[in-house]
Amino acid sequence: MPGIDECLVEAMRLPGALGAAVVDWTSGLALGTVGEAPGGDHETTAAEAAELARLAAEHRAFAPEEGSDWSGTDLPVEDLIVSNRDTYHVLRFVRTTFDSSVFLHLWLARSDGNLALARIRLGEMAGRLVLA
Amino acid sequence: MSVTTTPAPPLPVRGEHIRDAVSPLLSRLAAERATGVLLREFGSLYLSDGEVVHAESPRSPGLDVLLTTGGVLDTDGWREAVDTAGAGLRVGRFLVDSGRVARGALELCHAGALFDAAYFVLGPGGAPASFRYGAAHWLGPIRPVPVATVEREARRRRDLLHRIWPDPTTDEAPLIRAAGLNVPPVPARQGAVLGQVNGFRTAAEISLALGRPAFHTLVDVRRLAAAGLISTIRTHPAKTNTTTGPSPSPSPSPSPSPSAETRGVPVPASVPIGESPLTVNDPDIALLQRLRDALEAL
Repeated sequence: MPGIDECLVEAMRLPGALGAAVVDWTSGLALGTVGEAPGGDHETTAAEAAELARLAAEHRAFAPEEGSDWSGTDLPVEDLIVSNRDTYHVLRFVRTTFDSSVFLHLWLARSDGNLALARIRLGEMAGRLVLA
Repeated sequence: MSVTTTPAPPLPVRGEHIRDAVSPLLSRLAAERATGVLLREFGSLYLSDGEVVHAESPRSPGLDVLLTTGGVLDTDGWREAVDTAGAGLRVGRFLVDSGRVARGALELCHAGALFDAAYFVLGPGGAPASFRYGAAHWLGPIRPVPVATVEREARRRRDLLHRIWPDPTTDEAPLIRAAGLNVPPVPARQGAVLGQVNGFRTAAEISLALGRPAFHTLVDVRRLAAAGLISTIRTHPAKTNTTTGPSPSPSPSPSPSPSAETRGVPVPASVPIGESPLTVNDPDIALLQRLRDALEAL
């Protein structure tokens, strides 16, 4: 059964992975980090990614039309993808049975990264991390 | 949505005192790879081999509350784990090995509780710290965190709250909804907090009710305060003396939602100011709200 560190190591095995983190988006705290971070600073990256994740999670525009998940306890957003000239960022929200606001953050080199694969794998990792 | 970038002011004198008093002690304990518990006014920090393994504070919900409120375990399951593995100081490990809680879930929940309690333990407080060597917590080590990380995070959290809304009075006082406002839709997690605001509960009590880390509630409370949706109850002892009149009923009004009449107008003399926590009688808040409305209308 994977813990935070095993989950991060697994994320780093994805092609093109530069760095990964488990982040709490309410506080902006990185609960675990591995590899590189933009600017070499995992803490600042976590705080900035947390701000982005919070906006996505809190605004109704990004919630599904059906099921009115926005007002419930379910996560309104599954993941966020940001691309720039040389890298991708994939943020995957983690659904927990206790009250939390956690996401996985994967930073990928655009040259070797496979965005579709990374997105699928990150979703699987988020599930395994909290399933007994 | 605008992001306030006002730099946080330097910590108050008490904070400076703490930074002087606690950090060297903690740094020394980390350097000598100490094992034991640091006791402070607002909780305790457990070290093992110089790293933080657990933190507890009366101001933040414990791991048991966080896990049982969400339904990860029931209280019987928790009690059984503590009874079985508590004496061996390995309750955390037992929860995972017995299949009650996934390891990742326990690590996430425990790390959340640890940083949450540490924020209050390391906050400003008058009592000097003491360290009891050799003490260990019955949870056992789950995922140790370096002392420096915990201290840095506690400072960062204080700055974060200040940037959201610089008035700290909502952190500890009973909270009340602002009266007479058409409440705009708020995000789900803020909505859960707002739903618990009843004129009596404090942020810490709301955290307990929601099974949510206390700092998370403080963040949402400051956001709601910044939006003018909640405020604290201010008592005015001088006014109370002049307006109480012939001993009204001491039981406060049970009305869950204060009516619009109280917004910005003097409270009727029959209402004992300061006795009814559901009465909004703070002219500053009302003035600020009108000012904000006027500015937004420009």
